[in-house]
Amino acid sequence: MRWAIDHTSRERLQDQIASCVRRGVVSGELPVGEQLPPAAELGTALSVDRNTVLAAYRQLRDDGVLEFRRGRGARVVSAGPAMSSVIEAARRLIATASEHGLAKADLIRIIKELP
Amino acid sequence: MTPPPTADVDPYTVYTGRTTSWAMVASGCVGAVFVVFMGKDSNGSWSDRWFVVALIVVAIGVIVNVVTASSVRATAGPNGLTIHWGLVGWPRSTYHLDEIDDAEVVDLPWWRVSYAFWWTPKRTNCTLRSGPTVRLSLRNQRIVTITVPEPAAAVAALRKASTSRQTDGD
Repeated sequence: MRWAIDHTSRERLQDQIASCVRRGVVSGELPVGEQLPPAAELGTALSVDRNTVLAAYRQLRDDGVLEFRRGRGARVVSAGPAMSSVIEAARRLIATASEHGLAKADLIRIIKELP
Repeated sequence: MTPPPTADVDPYTVYTGRTTSWAMVASGCVGAVFVVFMGKDSNGSWSDRWFVVALIVVAIGVIVNVVTASSVRATAGPNGLTIHWGLVGWPRSTYHLDEIDDAEVVDLPWWRVSYAFWWTPKRTNCTLRSGPTVRLSLRNQRIVTITVPEPAAAVAALRKASTSRQTDGD
């Protein structure tokens, strides 16, 4: 899992950390069930306070992306409601494309060609 | 450490990964159960007391091995490469960027996998599986081999951090 944060950005650090997790979930780097690093370890690695990482984790828990379990740390439980709507939209797109005789590969090519 | 030729560097790009050896977990659990039940005779009662003590010691050893050597967490970035072993994150080691001469991805054959934390005068092995693995060459001539899920990403994070440090120093 790659984490990239910018300490000089006006975006809050906890939001940047939460975005990293969301990107990881979407890209498949963080599959459902994957355990995230302990807050203290990640905070040290990113040169941020442990509480900043915990705030990001809590934010993701409130969004339904993570769950906390005693002794097991924070784990990914779903892509979150925001991603669910994107996935649902993608399903509808695939269905529409299929009605017009287009395969997934054709859709991917069309999306890549879009500006 | 040799930096890559890229210039677009984020000083806080960090890679984290965890590798778990489920074979180690399963074999450890099976071994512990087998060892404990060997202490019983055919009547179901415990046999010689010292034999039982020895079995308990062996069982504890197996459990400790599972707890400490079943998985490895690695963090690569501006602080160097940190590894935490097992369920409780111990033993742990940190190799700072200053100590690292080079980092590369090597293909580890199965007969060189240590399945635990191995330390020799010239090498440190923290490997749980064969295949692509991170290998660090330290400035003190020590070779450190560590299993991480995405070794190329870990090496890239170390090289970015090294480049960033050199850029900041100029």
